[in-house]
Order: sequence, then C-alpha cells, then structure tokens
Amino acid sequence: MLKIENLHAGVDGKEILKGISLTVNPGELHAIMGRNGSGKSTLANVITGRDSYEVMSGSVTYNEVDLLELSPENRALSGIFMSFQYPVVIPGVNTTYLLRAALNAKLKNNGLKEINAADFMRLIREKLKLVNMDEKYLSRAVNDGFSGGEKKRNEILQMLTLEPELSILDETDSGLDIDALKIVAEGVNNFRNSDRSFLAITHYQRLLEYMKPDHVHVLIDGKIVKSGDITLAHELEEKGYSWLES
Amino acid sequence: MTQFKQQFDALLDYWPDENTALRKVRMNAFNHFNKLGFPTKKWEEWQFTDFSEIRKSEYRLSWSEDLPELPDNIPGRISNTHFIFMINGHYQPQLSDLPKGVTVSTGLNHFHGHPDDYKINGSENPFLALNTSMMNSGVPIIVENNAVIEKPIQVIYLMTDFLEPLMNHPRFIFELGGNAQASIIEHYIGISSISHYVNSVSKIKVDQNAQLSHIRILETDDSANYTASTQYVLGQDAQLNTTSLSSGGRLFRHDIKLVFDGLGAKATLNGLSLTEKAQHHDQHVIVDHGNDACQSHQLFKYILADKASGVFNGKVVVREHTKQTDADQSNKNLLLSPTALMNANPQLEIYAEDVKCAHGSTTGQIDPEALFYLRSRGISKKKAIELIIGGFAKDIITPIQNDDVRYYINNKVTNWLEGVMHHG
Repeated sequence: MLKIENLHAGVDGKEILKGISLTVNPGELHAIMGRNGSGKSTLANVITGRDSYEVMSGSVTYNEVDLLELSPENRALSGIFMSFQYPVVIPGVNTTYLLRAALNAKLKNNGLKEINAADFMRLIREKLKLVNMDEKYLSRAVNDGFSGGEKKRNEILQMLTLEPELSILDETDSGLDIDALKIVAEGVNNFRNSDRSFLAITHYQRLLEYMKPDHVHVLIDGKIVKSGDITLAHELEEKGYSWLES
Repeated sequence: MTQFKQQFDALLDYWPDENTALRKVRMNAFNHFNKLGFPTKKWEEWQFTDFSEIRKSEYRLSWSEDLPELPDNIPGRISNTHFIFMINGHYQPQLSDLPKGVTVSTGLNHFHGHPDDYKINGSENPFLALNTSMMNSGVPIIVENNAVIEKPIQVIYLMTDFLEPLMNHPRFIFELGGNAQASIIEHYIGISSISHYVNSVSKIKVDQNAQLSHIRILETDDSANYTASTQYVLGQDAQLNTTSLSSGGRLFRHDIKLVFDGLGAKATLNGLSLTEKAQHHDQHVIVDHGNDACQSHQLFKYILADKASGVFNGKVVVREHTKQTDADQSNKNLLLSPTALMNANPQLEIYAEDVKCAHGSTTGQIDPEALFYLRSRGISKKKAIELIIGGFAKDIITPIQNDDVRYYINNKVTNWLEGVMHHG
C-alpha cells in the first residue's frame, strides 16, 4: 500500500530525513516513535504533501502511484488522511461545511453522487457519537474556540467521516487527558479493519497501550534505527531513547 | 478645475430662479471648494489617494436630457423592500413604494427647515464643499416619530446608459424621529464603460431611542470614481447598525463621521471593501464620543486582489469628562496578491479616564496552514482559497439581520470572489 524507499527530505535545504525506508501493508498499524526533532512530523508532512518540505531523493509510492507527483488534495482523494498535530483554525468556515465539502470532493472523485444535506446530517450525527462530541461543534468555525482535546477529536471525526485507507496520526495523543485519549483511541480502534492502515506518530508509548501497533519503528536523527513489535515501545518507555543512539 | 467652474456656472444658469438663500449657500461652498482645491499628497488625511483623474476630468453634470429609458428590470433590486429610485440622478417618484410613516420631501423643503445642516463650517473636506455647491440629486427621507417600518427601504442610485462622462452630487438626508425603527439601504450602482463620478453626501439623524439599520452598497465598473461623506448624529439611547459593502470603481473615497449627541447611544459600524485590478478604496472613519455611556464598535475589512490598493484610517475620539465610553475598532485586511497594497492607520484619542477602548489592525495573506489543512481534506486549492476568503468576509455578512439583504450581499461577495478566482 504505502512504500517509502530511501527517502531523503527536509526544509530550506536542510536534510531532516536521511534515508527512510518503510512499507505499510493493508490492515497494519505502524507506530513511529522518536524524540522532538527526530523527523517524525517531517515524514508525515512529506507523505501528505506540505509545500514547504522538499524531497531530495528516494521515493514514496501509494498503491503503486508516485505520491510525490500528486497535489495534497489528490493525495487525500487517493485515500490518505492526516490527523494534524496542530489542527488549524479557519475563521468563518463552519465545521459542517468543511466536512461536507470534503466528503463530496471524495464522492465526486470516486464517480459517486454528492450526499444531500439530510443524509449528511444523519451520517455526521452517528460519527459525532463515536468521538463523544456535541452537535454544537458543527456550527462553529473549524477548530475556532476548540480546546486541545476537542481539536483532536474533531480530527478523528473527520477521519471517521472520510473513511481513508491510510490514516496518519501525527501526535494525536499530545495535549489529551486520559479520558480524551481513550475516546480517540477507541474511535481509531473501531475504525480498524483489514483494508485500513495507520501510521501513528508519537513521542510516548502511552497511546500505543490503547491502540495496539503491529510494528514499532524508532526514528533518531532522520533514520529508522530499530524496528520491532510493541515490546520495543515498552523498552523505550523503560530505558528512554539514549540506549539506541550511537 | 476649470471644468468644475464651467459646470458650476452651467448649474447656476440652468436654475436661474433658484431660491436666493440656497444660491448663496452654493456660491459660498464653491468658493470654499476653490480655496481648498483637490487634495494632494501633502494633505495628511488624503495622502494615499490620487485625485488627479477627477481633477483633470471632463465630467459634466447630468441634466434632464440625460434621463435614459427606464430599464425593464432595475438592477440590484432586493426582494421585500420599499423602494426609491434615481437614475443618472433623476428621481422617479412614479416608481416609489413607501409605507405609512415615511415621507420623501424635496431638497429645497429640507433646506428651508434646516438651513444649518447645509453649513460647511470650515470643513477641510473639499468634496463636502463641492457637493454643497453642486447638489443636484438625492432626497430627504423622513421617518415619523414612533413609526416602526418593518420592511427595509431600498434607495437605488443608478448610473447607466449615458454617452459622455457624467457627474452627480447627490445629497441624502435620512432622519428617524424619536422611537422610530427603520432600515435604509443606500445603494449605488454604476453600469457603464464610460466613466462617471458620483460625489455624495448623506446626513443621517437618529433621534432619541430610535433604531436605524443603514446598509450602504456600492457596486460599480472600473472606470467610475466615487467620493462620499456619511455623517451620523445619534440622539439619546439611539441605536445604529451599519453595514457597508463597497466593490469596484477606479477610486472610492469615503469619509464617515459619527457624533453622539445624547447619552447611552450605541453604534456598530461594519464595512467590507472588495477591490481588484487597479482599484483603490480609501475609507476614513471618525467616531466622536462626546457624551456619556455611549458604545461604538467598528469592524472594517478589505479584500484586495491583483494590484488593488486600500486605505483605512479610523479614529475614535473620547472627549474630556465623558464617562463609561465603550469603544472598539478593528481593521482586518486580506491581500490576495503580492502586488496588492494596504495602508492602515487605526487611532485612538482619549481625553477621559472612564473608558473601555480597544483597537487593532492586521494585514495578511491567505494562511498557508489553513490552505494546506483544507487541501489535505481533498478540497481543491481553488475551492479552499474561496472558502478561506468567504470565511474572512463572514463576520461582516452574518450580523445583517434582514434575510433578503443578507442574501443579496452574500451573493455579491460570492460572485465577486468567483470572478477574482476565475481570472486570477
């Protein structure tokens, strides 16, 4: 599904990712762990196509398509979603409008009929329950006046509505208290199936207690220095990152 | 300048039997205008706007022979509104639809009743003097005491269908008597590839405990020049809500002045300016708090595309010994191109202690983070930009209470946006 080969990338000519290779198959949840500045978020931004990041060499393919050639919207339409580390406030654009415009863009891209307002509201009410969000958020501007936890739940709400094949969860656990973390993790867990894959980027193993990863990778200074299963995350929790540093 | 002198003389010739007192007012005003001249870059309050095209122009006044055939469908009509119509400056009373409690008087009548309203008092605004000297259109609209007018009154001032550059100097009076409630739409529309110039003055009085919603709309083609003065006087406990939408024109200069003439009055002044190509909009706002317990809230937004330029100069004055003033002023500008330019200068002049005041101004481009966020949801770049700009305009549009008016203005903004996105 997602295949990254010897990826070198960075910002402003500065190399941050120094040769990443990673394959994510359908149904798998991969955790990328690393300290601040290790390149975790750079990896997420390169996959989703943020302008300011440049790819120096290597390749990223998704279902055998060269992802790096696609615009951010076309990456999204081909099935990739990112839950943002810092969800953006968009003044004057209400949450319902964004969700419906995004869903319709996807339906249209897949050659399907756009969803009407009544069906959309039925759908969105179901999804709201899954992340324990009040309907009042729908009429607010996107992320405007949302607390940290509400913003993250809103990201998961969008994921559940758009039903992507590959979801990148960029520090989705940061800024969440334990209750909110459980809600978010449960939302993700219920969404998992044999077709959907996940890339969970995190600093701590806390999140991984609630969503069991199939693979854990440790990123240090732009390289994956070790890969393993959940026990690797436990080991990191115990020993920190320094035992892996050369 | 000689063109304006010629036109002034022509006006005097055209109405040889005009009331002598009014004639004297015109002559004094024209002398005053001559003394001041057109603003230059050296005038502090006018420095960012170039008036030379108006100064050098060949505009002539619109006479009765400039009344064209009336259009079958009057552009800009908003549903469910009362109506007053002027075309090329010529009032069409047969098309008026006015409710009980509202009178349209004549300029001369109003002048006789309120000669002081026509004094220039040494004003340094040459366009006010120019308007006073050549006032040739516009109407006084008077809402009786206690009248509650449910539907908005739409006043359309249409410039269209003329063969040489025309100018007009409309004088509008909107007066709401005590406890009256009304909504007035002052709507300027210019549809012509031939240049025209409209220099309007609107004097608006909201008496004790009255409530006025004043919507001002300007929509015109690129070749037109518009200068305007709007002066509000609010009585005790009066309430004023204004929304101004200005789009197009080669040049638009608008001087807004609000005076609190009684205690406890409240005013909200909102404005949205839309400019593209080489258009230039310059708005100056003065809110003068000379009475206790008055509130004023200003929000002026500009969206500038291409090589457009904008000026916002807002001043809140809180006079000595006044109490419990609550005033804020916000100016936000969105530049859609690297060649668009904005000059913003919000000012507070506070001479009292018991005040709550805030002001601020920001100018920025489309937030790249917001743009990426929307695109990462599968929304095209073009659509995402439209959403962000539409969102920016929203807090001007949403507070408009009347559904038909809000719908009309929202449509205008959407259409403008689509136009800009299409050629941009």
